[in-house]
Amino acid sequence: MRRALITTGTTLAGIVLLLSLKPHESTLHNASAPLSTGDVPGPETRASQPAGPTATSGNGTFIGDAVQTEFGTVQVRITVRDGALAKVDVLRYPDEDRKSVAISRFALPRLTERTMAAGNAQIDTLSGATYTSEGYRRSLQSALDQAGVR
Amino acid sequence: MSAESSLRLVEPAMGTVFSFDVRTPATDEIHAALTSAVAWLHHVDALFSTYRPGSQISRLGRGELTVGECAPEVREVLDRCRELSEETGGRFSSTPAGRLDPSGLVKGWAVERASDLLYEAGALDHCVNGGGDVQTRGEAAPGRPWRIGLAHPADHEAVAAVVEGRDLAVATSGTAERGAHITDPRTGRPASALLSLTLVGRRLATVDALATAVFAMGEEAEDWLRSRPGLHAYAVTADHRVWSTPGFPFAAPLGAPCHAV
Amino acid sequence: MTALAPQPTTAPRAGHAPPRFAALLPGPVAGLGALAVLLLWWRTTPSVIGPAGWLTESGRITGLLAGYGAAVLLLLMARIPVLEHHVGTDRLARWHAMAGRYTVGLALAHTLTILWGYTLTSRTDPVTQTVDVLHYPEMLKGTLGFLLMLLVGATSARAARRRLPYEAWHLIHMSSYLAVFAAFSHQLVLGAQFVASPLARVFWYALYLSAAALLAWYRFLTPIVIAFRHRMRVAEVRVESPGVVSVYVTGRRLDELGARAGQFFRWRFLAPDLWWAANPYSLSAAPRPDLLRITVKAAGRHSAALADLRPGTRIWAEGPYGALTADRMESGRALLLGGGVGITPLRALFETLPGDLTLVYLARTPEDLALREELEALAAARGARAVFFVDEPAGHRLPLTASSLRRVVPDLPTRDVYLCGPPGMARAARTALREAGVPRHRIHHESFEF
Repeated sequence: MRRALITTGTTLAGIVLLLSLKPHESTLHNASAPLSTGDVPGPETRASQPAGPTATSGNGTFIGDAVQTEFGTVQVRITVRDGALAKVDVLRYPDEDRKSVAISRFALPRLTERTMAAGNAQIDTLSGATYTSEGYRRSLQSALDQAGVR
Repeated sequence: MSAESSLRLVEPAMGTVFSFDVRTPATDEIHAALTSAVAWLHHVDALFSTYRPGSQISRLGRGELTVGECAPEVREVLDRCRELSEETGGRFSSTPAGRLDPSGLVKGWAVERASDLLYEAGALDHCVNGGGDVQTRGEAAPGRPWRIGLAHPADHEAVAAVVEGRDLAVATSGTAERGAHITDPRTGRPASALLSLTLVGRRLATVDALATAVFAMGEEAEDWLRSRPGLHAYAVTADHRVWSTPGFPFAAPLGAPCHAV
Repeated sequence: MTALAPQPTTAPRAGHAPPRFAALLPGPVAGLGALAVLLLWWRTTPSVIGPAGWLTESGRITGLLAGYGAAVLLLLMARIPVLEHHVGTDRLARWHAMAGRYTVGLALAHTLTILWGYTLTSRTDPVTQTVDVLHYPEMLKGTLGFLLMLLVGATSARAARRRLPYEAWHLIHMSSYLAVFAAFSHQLVLGAQFVASPLARVFWYALYLSAAALLAWYRFLTPIVIAFRHRMRVAEVRVESPGVVSVYVTGRRLDELGARAGQFFRWRFLAPDLWWAANPYSLSAAPRPDLLRITVKAAGRHSAALADLRPGTRIWAEGPYGALTADRMESGRALLLGGGVGITPLRALFETLPGDLTLVYLARTPEDLALREELEALAAARGARAVFFVDEPAGHRLPLTASSLRRVVPDLPTRDVYLCGPPGMARAARTALREAGVPRHRIHHESFEF
């Protein structure tokens, strides 16, 4: 019994140690897409949280802070023209060769007769009231997506 | 028969699921744009999610930030919310029931931007579906426009109608899944004369936001829509009748009846 | 012998024990593998964010380790000769039991933490999330594997084993093959580490395929090859005393098996009651090129059925196994200390061990002293000493203490001791021997308690 406790405790401690050694927040890791500063019109301003001067309107290119999402670290560059968002560029996303694990995380259900209904109407996609991820799984849209993926 | 997709992706974000379907043959640039689009969605989620206490929108709502201190995306969204609010006589609002919550616009707007990313990378024919709000560009196949089914509000397995067209944005508002979450901001009470309302237009951000607003209009929706010729609507009422605006882009019937309400 | 022939266990040079460090090598090697697995997690995980992140990543770590552990468990039981000989069957079985408990615990931790982490991420509730996960690809199989693993673990607990008949426990335990097979696919399809890294997938396939290949060859195919090559059959069944039978096994070229006195085989008798299990029984006489003998006490359904074996019954045997051989002798003198049914390998050793031999045999009653006449005859023929002690009738008992052992065997500290008997007796004897001055490396003992 005592050995079991020691083993459990050591394992737990080991896992906690491993997890704690990883970054938990926004960290700017090495850019894979270099930030080219020379070819954009207008002033470049780094928008930082929380405080920082920003252009109130008009034109400009803003490089947002690297935002920590559950997907990973993402950083965008926004081009504003006449006060409206003209262009969005994503500068940094976590891992170029990481296939979206969506398909593995949210499995598309097995093809059922539902796809026949969709197939009869020969539709490409479905619009409806917003579904949650669980609702998606039950929906026709997931059957359509799966038919396309497989 | 469905046309061949060159690229498909399903990505959960913002509490729902986004489906990407690219018909233009995929190049490296389009692949990269798809990855960017996905990253963009997560970025938007991180900024705008009202479920995250640390998001800029939450902090702004609590007064911890001023608008000037927020990212330009936030300002843009709030500006457009204001415009839409005026346009709909207050029925669209970024502050329903007193909280700061521009969710009615954010999802459609994010999808529209994601679609732009793909388009600019050369994916001229694609479809992005963000939890039921759809932005299409181009066609599904050479000579064949996109066919977008409208989910039957009361039956997950049925299609109530099919919309057909090029460069269409389709958004549906309804009580179907999440329950009566749509509030009439003016009364603060649920808007429930309609079971679902689908708007069809060109750009999803506007279409998505207006769908929410028009849904809340209930019986007054038809009048309001008459003043907006660029928008088409299809509605299912609480007593299971349907109406649609004249010229609503129904798909030509293929033989099987698809109005089953 | 061709390259395909199952190699008999290679015997080290007579007089030299298998290097002791070899027994300790597999542990660190397995540990290195576990480190490699953790490194895989490390390299494919950019960050750990929030409680959901901590939980989900804990789930991934424990899942990876459990998957690795399952492969190690299979390898331990694959009857790989080099492991069986250098580490010893009994030690391998004990390691398997310990690693088995650990792996089941890891699998449980994996399931709980990853479900919890997913629940937090998807902002639903645990029940909804669990139902959701059950719909993921390969997850029905994964769940089946997990539940089977829990069942195997639960029935292997000492308390459960005491209540279960051996046959039932054995059958349930065999379902762990199914459990591992069922759970394999969900690891590759859903594991974030494997989605991210093709090298990891290769490594995982290599790990499992080699475990499967080794299992298939050494545990399943080798006995069949041996059966065809040596055609072992029951030659005769002789009742030695009430409840004790000897089974004589005949065959071709049995010397090529390389069996030695003190070793055992796993015997599968192809008779209606007995075919489903391959049970270990030690040779109770020195092996001959045309004859092997085992002597078994009827203790359970299987051993009792041996008495009814008909001559000519075919046998599939695997082996030889066991490290209790003459190779372990360091001195020129030995004490063979046996209790109850443990006398069987000692009887074989008594026939062949060189040097000055003393045999001490402890049993409950005089009737339980199996093979007594043979032992006395061997003692006379070889100039060795055989002494017997019983608990009943009173006055003939040998307490297992250092002093009483030294009285019987005055030069005890200079001898090699071969010890074989029921767990309680063996434990007491070991303590007494150590106290009497026998160094640890000269006590040779095989215990199948686990």
